[in-house]
Amino acid sequence: MHRPLIVGLAQTDVRLGSFEANIQLHLEWIERAHQQGVDLLIFPELSLTGYRLLHLTGRMALQPESSPILEPLLEASRKISLVIGLVEEDGRGVLYNSSLMLSEGRIAHTHRKLYLPTYGIFQEGRFFGSGRRLALSPTHDGNLGILICEDLWHPHLARSLAVAGAKVLIVSSASPGTVGSGPVPASQEAWESLIRATALVNTCWVIYCNRVGWEEGSFYTGGSLVVRPGGEVLERAPFLDQHLLTAEIDLREVDRLRWRLPLVQARRSDIEGAS
Amino acid sequence: MIRRQQVRERLLLNADLATSVLCSFIADAIATSGCGGVVLGLSGGVDSALSAALAVRALGQEQVLAFNLPYKSSSPDSAADAEAVASHLSLTTRTIDISAMVDTYFDSNEEEADEVRRGNKMARERMSILFDQAKKHGFLVLGTSNKTEILLGYSTIFGDNASSINPLGDLYKQQVWQLAEHLGLPPRVVSKKPSADLWPGQTDEQELGFEYEVADEVLYLMFDRGLAPDEVAERGYPLEVVKKISSLEEHNRFKRRLMLIARLSGSAINLDREIPRD
Repeated sequence: MHRPLIVGLAQTDVRLGSFEANIQLHLEWIERAHQQGVDLLIFPELSLTGYRLLHLTGRMALQPESSPILEPLLEASRKISLVIGLVEEDGRGVLYNSSLMLSEGRIAHTHRKLYLPTYGIFQEGRFFGSGRRLALSPTHDGNLGILICEDLWHPHLARSLAVAGAKVLIVSSASPGTVGSGPVPASQEAWESLIRATALVNTCWVIYCNRVGWEEGSFYTGGSLVVRPGGEVLERAPFLDQHLLTAEIDLREVDRLRWRLPLVQARRSDIEGAS
Repeated sequence: MIRRQQVRERLLLNADLATSVLCSFIADAIATSGCGGVVLGLSGGVDSALSAALAVRALGQEQVLAFNLPYKSSSPDSAADAEAVASHLSLTTRTIDISAMVDTYFDSNEEEADEVRRGNKMARERMSILFDQAKKHGFLVLGTSNKTEILLGYSTIFGDNASSINPLGDLYKQQVWQLAEHLGLPPRVVSKKPSADLWPGQTDEQELGFEYEVADEVLYLMFDRGLAPDEVAERGYPLEVVKKISSLEEHNRFKRRLMLIARLSGSAINLDREIPRD
């Protein structure tokens, strides 16, 4: 029998523009998660730097393969796999909003955010280059795909990862909240619909880790979710407060659902017209 | 097409959630700034009452310093209402009369000044005292300006619109009323006619020429939803009122974008180099 994967979602606040504070924060959460038996701990988008960096973006950029800043996290990844967020510099003058999978002491996978929101309060396109590659993480038997926040709103990405073999989609986010007449942040209703629909149509797990805290007068909602293949919410974190959410992920659940709901397998490339 | 009734519904907040979020805003600002609390002026009006109530919830009474800053012509009712708010929140207030400071300037130098100039000076005198008290205690100045008055420019620049942090700046006036009622603030404060109390008998709505409910709805449609004035009027608002609100919004934008700096270097503060304050 497969041992279930124990995932942890670090719904943290992040200190804008401080590696020192954020590395310390990561190490504390890693220790807590490790004590709870977590195999894979996921941090929010740009967890090492904070989100709304604007013209501090370049100052917080690092080249992951050579940066000493990551050393304590790489060391920690020998006992627990990590997904962290940072500003990645490619050495050719382009910065990326990236998520890294750290595992067994090395950088196992990098996902550069593909869709950069540049509207309303979002300004990512001014400071980041868009990623150009979508791939499965080679860790965990190739069952994991990573997306960042806005990427999920472009559903062909989640679909492509599922078709390529992803049974778990990890979505790191720094999603700001709004308040309306409902009991939960208005923005969260849209996110939850999207995440559940993604888990349903792609018949896969979706792990959504969103941050909390304030930057420049705007709050991040939290409300992280673990959604089962088919769209049922398995675990949810509270709004606004820091929280370590853990869940047992049975990858076989994906197979069992796909046996009777073969949506991902039924891909067609021969449809003419608007497709 | 969005109708007037729907606009009113859109402006209704979930009061519990809005309160939690705004308290979290105040608590986070204090925690990350390293300051010990907040100072604010209690005018006896609903805006400062709500700001104070949120701060007390977020920080506790000991970290909220409330000031009553009357001028000699200020209505005694304002002071009584401020006291009712303070007592409701178990806050002790300190009173500093600003009459001498304001009068010294005008009596010795500018005797002919009209009531608007005198009112502006009072607002700035209060701001000046609050920032001094904030410095004295290592606290932040808590703002009390709401979204309606900020958009209409119905405030004194560098006066009552000045603060370190403002929990009310994205709340329309009726949302301020809604939250104030939700938090159980004294009904006499919540239901009284809003007034800047800069001269006897002044009320906001009389001076503005329209009611706050209308202003909120028109501003929501124009500012939040992006409708043009004639499109707003089609939803059932008098065109003259819509035009007046639109004109006020347009002509007071300078009050919401402080520090206009002439750009020379290509690295101008806030224009080329947007560095977050947090």
